[in-house]
Amino acid sequence: MVGMEHAWVLPALPFGAFVVLLLVGRYLPRRGDFLAVGAMVAAAVLFSLMLADLVQALGEEGFQGVTSGIDWLKFDTFRVRLGFFFDNLTAVMLAVVTYVGSLIFIYSMGYMQGDPRYGWFFAAMSLFAASMMTLVLADNLLLLYGAWEAVGFCSYLLIGFWHERRSAAEAAKKAFITTRIGDVGFLIGIVLLWREAGTFDLREIFQLASEGGYSSEYLTLAVLMLFAGAVGKSAQFPLHVWLPDAMEGPTPVSALIHAATMVVAGVYMVARTMPLFEAADPVALQVVTALGLATVMLSATVALVVKDVKRVIAYSTINSLGLMMVALGSRSVTAAMFYLFVHGFFKALLFLAAGNVLHATDRGAVDELGGLRAKMPLTALAFGVGTLAMAGLFPFSGFWAKDEILVAAREDQGVAVNVVLWVSVALTALYMARLYILTFLGRPRDPHAYEHAHEASLVMLAPVLLLALGAVVTGFWAFDQVGEALALPGGVGKFIYLHEPHSFEMPVAEAAGSSALVVASLLLAGFIWSGEARPAQLMAQRLRPLYQLLWNKYYMDDLYQWIVNRIVLATGAMVAWFDRVVVNDTGVDGSAGLTALWGWIMRQVQTGKMPNYALAIAGGAVVIGAVVLVARM
Amino acid sequence: MIPIQHFLLLGALLFSLGVYGVLSRRNVVLILMAVELMLQGVNINLVAFAVYLSPQEFRGLIFALFVITVAAAEVGLALAIALRLFRNRATANVDEVDTLRW
Repeated sequence: MVGMEHAWVLPALPFGAFVVLLLVGRYLPRRGDFLAVGAMVAAAVLFSLMLADLVQALGEEGFQGVTSGIDWLKFDTFRVRLGFFFDNLTAVMLAVVTYVGSLIFIYSMGYMQGDPRYGWFFAAMSLFAASMMTLVLADNLLLLYGAWEAVGFCSYLLIGFWHERRSAAEAAKKAFITTRIGDVGFLIGIVLLWREAGTFDLREIFQLASEGGYSSEYLTLAVLMLFAGAVGKSAQFPLHVWLPDAMEGPTPVSALIHAATMVVAGVYMVARTMPLFEAADPVALQVVTALGLATVMLSATVALVVKDVKRVIAYSTINSLGLMMVALGSRSVTAAMFYLFVHGFFKALLFLAAGNVLHATDRGAVDELGGLRAKMPLTALAFGVGTLAMAGLFPFSGFWAKDEILVAAREDQGVAVNVVLWVSVALTALYMARLYILTFLGRPRDPHAYEHAHEASLVMLAPVLLLALGAVVTGFWAFDQVGEALALPGGVGKFIYLHEPHSFEMPVAEAAGSSALVVASLLLAGFIWSGEARPAQLMAQRLRPLYQLLWNKYYMDDLYQWIVNRIVLATGAMVAWFDRVVVNDTGVDGSAGLTALWGWIMRQVQTGKMPNYALAIAGGAVVIGAVVLVARM
Repeated sequence: MIPIQHFLLLGALLFSLGVYGVLSRRNVVLILMAVELMLQGVNINLVAFAVYLSPQEFRGLIFALFVITVAAAEVGLALAIALRLFRNRATANVDEVDTLRW
């Protein structure tokens, strides 16, 4: 029987696949893709067994999670463990990583077929999966940080997978550098926490924080630094700029890394360290809420005008991540993790369905698509399910999770926050409907692409349909009855909670209000964008400044480019000048030149003429004699 | 008996003449001869002190003989160098031989 204490097997499986693929993958049939997929599916199966073990353990009194692992670094009294921690929060995150991950791996076999670096793709994806599972399971901050950087590195590799394309190479670089800015803060936060606690172990740090071992200001600073890491990784304002560009990677990468797993690592980390955020000054959670809200509004508005299908979905991901942050800012780990869980399914679904479109038409912009429902009915159906789930229509999964967040915000936040959230709900439905209408309905805008379009092969269609099923049913986990039917202690509120487990209550006001809003938005989108989309063109013309503002993504990319060009590069030029002129020319070459000059001066003494030497010897003898005589006297 | 100061004065005179010769001459053969003068000045000192300090022994005298022997060997070597110099440079003037430097 595999129990929670064997959690280390989960990351070890894909890591083993990575090593084998890297070393001998090219000699294996099908470049060894079956190893990567097999390892991932095996991890999913083993995780299911561990989940059963967890459910059994939850029945016992005082269960606090299971730790396993070995010592990694050991000094006299200080040690760092290669430790794995398994509890409810871990399980939810692992469910997304292993289940959604397996489906995406299977899908990749079809999507990446014929790629010259087919084997390398699966190797890198396996390494990513291993790193992600380590991140989720880590029981101390140092291991967490290592895995955190490893997933960032894999993301870099996979965004730049087609690095022959300049835009892909640039996007990979941008993603790596942007998230790195947040990571610096994360590392500072870890060091701050460790400095007072003397340990990296998460639970010992929580213990110390709850006993008031940290001063309030100190802890607030530390958790804000941790949050900086989440801002980078989870693409929150103002470090969100890398995620839309990350769509340059292959679509399965977008689905796995930049929607379902890696980008929610920031949300997971904040949820995991929630005891610290609670113990800190309230301003910490206010910052989380504020940045989450800014992210939500920014992404929801920009998504209205973006043309590229994958980029629209990327902005919707940023939107969802912002929502999760708002939920965390409202102290509702339940709502945030529930949304994270269902989001993993429906967002992967959206990406993979978009991948089918991309694969079939070789077109990525809505300008060149349209009317594809006739050619790809099943993909269109699945995409529609994903759209409605993202929009939050009853009874799709997004509806339940989104309403949990609305309830959490109502209970914990002021009016302004709630108003913004409700506006974002309407905007989300609007841009998701726009995307569906422009892609699958109406008249084909590029007849050539339309002619070549075809329904995807089974290996690509099956994961999409399974995810579509997930996008419908995962939301029902909100109900206690559903959870109990699955042998869980109950609904999500009884599985993941901050202080007390709570049952699900149908939030009538939220449910009715948001449903009405979503339906109205969907109808409005149908009016604006269906057919020739005349109202949309009219609005773009009439509201030209606003359209320009959104089209240019609030000029944030331009602002950052300006900062890089004018400040970073200018500073770099100054430093380079200092290095060249002061350090090199003056310091290194200068001292060498001084020595050479002195040598040249002293060299003039050496004439080579014997009489001069003879005179010097004689003169020296006379001087020495004179000195001796004077000294004697 | 002649006082030792006379011998010492003679030795110093010879040595000084030798030094003057080494410093003022340009011809390598003349310089060698001046060096011989310096050596003989030293020899006179050695012999004088030997006779005055320990007449029963021959230590100083033997020293003088050694100096003469070594001086002879040195002159043989030095003249050979001078000869090669003249063959190669067509000069015996030390002013013109200054290549042994940086």
